Formats: sequence, C-alpha cells, structure tokens
Amino acid sequence: MTDVTTPMMAARRRRVLPRPLIFGATILLASAVVAVFPAQVAPYDPNAFDYGALLQAPTSAHPMGTDNFGRDVLSRVLHAYTIDMQIAFFATVFPFLFGTVVGALVGYAGGWAEVIFGRIVDAVITFPFLVLVIAIVSVLGPGLVNMYIAVGVVGWVFYARIIAAEVRVQKRLDYADAGRAMGYTHARIIFVHLLPNAITPAIVYWMTDMALAILLGSSLGYLGLGAQPPAAEWGVQIADGKNFMATAWWISVFPGLAIVLTGLGFSLTGDGLAELLRTKR
Amino acid sequence: MTQAPALEVRNLTTTFAGGRLTAVNDVSFTVLPGEVLGLVGESGSGKSVTLRSIMRLLPASGAVSGHVRWQGRDILTMSDADLRGVRGGQISMIFQEPMTALNPVLPVFTQIEENLKAHTDLDRAARAARARDLMDLVGIPDAARRLKEYPHQFSGGMRQRVMIAIALAGNPTLLLADEPTTALDVTIQDQILKLILDLRDELSMSVVLVTHDLGVVAATCDRIAVMYAGRIVETGTVRDVFAQPAHAYTRGLLGSVPHAGTERSMLLSIEGTPPPLDRIPAGCAFNPRCDFATGPCRARVPVLEDLAPGRSVACFNRTAVTAAGSPV
Repeated sequence: MTDVTTPMMAARRRRVLPRPLIFGATILLASAVVAVFPAQVAPYDPNAFDYGALLQAPTSAHPMGTDNFGRDVLSRVLHAYTIDMQIAFFATVFPFLFGTVVGALVGYAGGWAEVIFGRIVDAVITFPFLVLVIAIVSVLGPGLVNMYIAVGVVGWVFYARIIAAEVRVQKRLDYADAGRAMGYTHARIIFVHLLPNAITPAIVYWMTDMALAILLGSSLGYLGLGAQPPAAEWGVQIADGKNFMATAWWISVFPGLAIVLTGLGFSLTGDGLAELLRTKR
Repeated sequence: MTQAPALEVRNLTTTFAGGRLTAVNDVSFTVLPGEVLGLVGESGSGKSVTLRSIMRLLPASGAVSGHVRWQGRDILTMSDADLRGVRGGQISMIFQEPMTALNPVLPVFTQIEENLKAHTDLDRAARAARARDLMDLVGIPDAARRLKEYPHQFSGGMRQRVMIAIALAGNPTLLLADEPTTALDVTIQDQILKLILDLRDELSMSVVLVTHDLGVVAATCDRIAVMYAGRIVETGTVRDVFAQPAHAYTRGLLGSVPHAGTERSMLLSIEGTPPPLDRIPAGCAFNPRCDFATGPCRARVPVLEDLAPGRSVACFNRTAVTAAGSPV
C-alpha cells in the first residue's frame, strides 16, 4: 500500500501555531528570563541611591531616567519583573487549581451541589472584586502573601464556574456514558475524561487573569497594601512617581508601560491558546 | 432448547419522574450464549432505555425494578464495585454516535489501554501488543500508526470500529449495541454489522442489537423482540416472525419497508405516531393505530402468551393477524 497524503492531511499534520501565541509567548518568555536573572540584565543596583543624579531625564547612561533618590528607573523596572511575574503566577495558580477541582466535581454531581455552589458564587460576585480583596488584605495586613490569600479566596469561584459549566455540557456526551459502560470510576471519568475536555476555557481565562493579577498587584502596591517600598514593584514605582508627574514623568510612565507590555503578552498568549486548543471533532 | 441463557431479564420496569412516566414496562427476555437478539421498535418505544437499564446507565431520575440475571447474579442489586467489574469487562456497550462516544482529547491507544488496565492484568508491553491486535481484529489497517492518532483523525465508520475495539478489550461475553450503525452510511453500516457477526463467531459473544431498521435485523439477528410503548409485544426467531407476524404492530412494521425481488406494491404505513409516555392509551397501547382492534383491546392490556417454544405474542386478535398473512 502506498502512502497517500492529501493537502488536507498535510495541513492537519503541520499544526501551524497561531500568530498571537507566537508574539505573546515571546513576550512572556523574555519577561520570565528578566524575572529570573534581573541582576544580569539591569545596568545598576535598583536600590542604590545616586545623589549626583536626581530626577534626571532619560539619557544614554540612564535610558529611563532616574527618580528622586537617583535610582535608575530602568534597573528598577527590570528588577520589578521578579516580583510582578511572581504575583501573576502565585495569585492565580491556587485559585486555578482549586476552582478547577471544585468546578469539575460540582458540574459532574449536579443537583444540590450545584444549587449550593450557585449561591456561593452569587455571594462572592455581589461584591466588587477589588473592594473585597482590599477588605481582606486590610484584615490580614499588607504584604504579598496576604494578597495571594485574599485573591485566592475570591478568585477560585470564577474558575469553578467556568469548569462547572463545561463539565455539565461534556457529561451529557456519549463518551461519558461510554466511560461508565466500561466500568470506570466516577473519579476517573471526571478527571481523566471530562476535565481535559472542559479545561480549555479555564486555561484561557487563567492567562487573562494573570494580566489582571499584575494590575491588581500594582494597584495594591500603589495603595501600599501589596509589595512594600523600597521594593522594586511597578505599582510601588508608579506611586513613587506620582508627585513628580509634571516634572519627571519617566518615573511613573516606564513602569506603566512594563505593565501594559506584560499584560499584552498574557492576553495574546490566551488568545493564541484558545485558537490552538479548540477541540477538534 | 435447554441451554442456559447468558442473560436473563425478568419483569424489567423503568420509570422516570418519580414513577409518573413508565419507559420500560414489565419486559422479560433471555439471550442465549452466542446469540444475536434484535430489539426493534419505533423511536420512543423503550429499546435504548431497556439496554441502559440492564447496565444501570440511567440518569438519576430513572428508577429500575425487576431482575437482570447475569452469571448467577443480579446486576440490578450488585454493589458498585462489582458492577464496575461487569461493565466493560464481561458486558460491553457500543453507542449510536461514534462521533461523540470517543473522548476527543485522548489518542486512541490511551483509550483502548485504559480499558485493558481496568479489566485485565496485562503489563505495559502486553497491553501495547493487545491494542494492536484489537485494531487488527476490528479491521483498522496500519494499527501501529493509527493507535497514536486522535478520534478526529478517523472517519465515522473507523471510529465505530475503534469503539468496538475498546468494547472488546475486556473480553466481553455480551455486547450491547445501541443502534451502532444508525449514524453511518449504508455501505459502512454493512461492514460494521458483518464485523459484529464475525466477532460474535470468533469470540463466541452474545449480542443484543437495538435498532429500528428491520433490514439490519433480517441480516444479522437470530431472534427478534418487538417493542411498543415500553412493552415487548412479540418475540420469536427472525425467520418465524418475518414469515408469520402475529402482532398487528409487527405486521405493520414489516409492511412499511420495501422488499427487493417482489412485485412492486404500495408500502403500507402505520397511521399516527407512538404515544408519548404520559399519554399511553388504556388497554393495548397500540389499539388507536391498529386495523385489527376490537373491544377487548381498548379495555385490557394483552399479556405475552406463548405460541410455540421461544415464540410469544401479546395480541387478542392474533388469529386474525396471522390469517392476514405476512406483508413480506
């Protein structure tokens, strides 16, 4: 038998990566490298004061200028990657995991579990997200770990809701019944069969959520509830520069641009993954 | 005729909505080892629910009573752990829609291997070899390569073959097939039915085939059980029932399919549609659509009576129906 390859089969096998994913992943990969090796890429110590160069506009020695203590803004922006990428990851990974498991169980069980879960979701989303997080942080006290806890307590319901809805759809399909007809356990059907088919929207949402987590982390940092000065964190930096906006715009603008760029990276990656992971039938 | 049945279903009754709707009503039948039983009827007559009741694969709103005897035990009362051993191991099931009955995100090999893990003691290498054998058995060429592929890379007929391969992984002695060819085109349909028959011979399985296609029954089944509104109205060997239907509904069904090789004639149709579950008429459920209906049909439910060993019918006017002859 000769191997026949039709153009369609070839296209199917080639698996072209979606363009947003390529751009997004490139940004994130670069961000991750900077986050892990900030000292290697930054030209100066982020916390070194230089009283000979206060509030300098961008020059070739300080491409993003210096702040009111003479600290190099570029070095601080680069070092901030370490904290902000951590925030993006740790503020979202626990809600993602916990919400996914709860959502899968609730979606599969249906009935009363779903009713009770629905009320919990309602209770959480009735409060504005940021207000709820700030309230929890102010009880627990400022700092990154408390911020992760606050975001986790609120954030998991969104993942759980997405997964529960998907699992509800998937469990009606024949392959779920087929799994039961093969004598598989409920746990096996939920986590091996239904969940992989249901998880795509949650992964895509996770990417968006990481971008939002950076914004949130920066907002809390700006308000003094997240990372604490003198730590190099974008929100803290923007707060540092707010009194100098008219005379030294670069102190706040460059960290802001870093937030935009990283957020863009997550969003593009999310879009690209959505395209790539769309289930084929 | 004294062979012990492989599967014995006694007084199976399945109700939904807290007992208000009866989908399967007092159904009894047996399947002998190596036998193919065709369960026939229009949509909504309870065929699929019967099959799912046997495997306890109903949604939570369904309640089943009666007995399903399988190797000396009652499937309806066994523990969940025992049930998992029977499902997919001793009794396997294949579904109507091969497009949705396979998990789209797992390669075919993983899905076959999963059943092997659940129901056999084979080690890794043996499972891989067995998976290839199963692919060969169901007639999928180039097994080694195709095992790595995903369901979407297979055509409808090939997916049904994969489904059968998974179902066979646990060496079942009974295969429950829920309209396995309805979603496939006619040439593929024929191949799949031949495959099921070959496998029956090769592996000495029994098969319960649910279908609404009498052509499929004629081509594949040994015995037939005709269902209407949740009850079995006539059973017998395919040869006997086709030659001499004794229930007006069976006669109507047989008259409504074209037959090759006979003189061209008008197709008969059965007027009306099967009753919805909440409006099953009093007496014989078929009486409003029946040409032979008389007084008793509207008053009492006819019980299934033996005409001969292995041949029974539930009809008050069976002599009139028999006298009218087969429309075939």
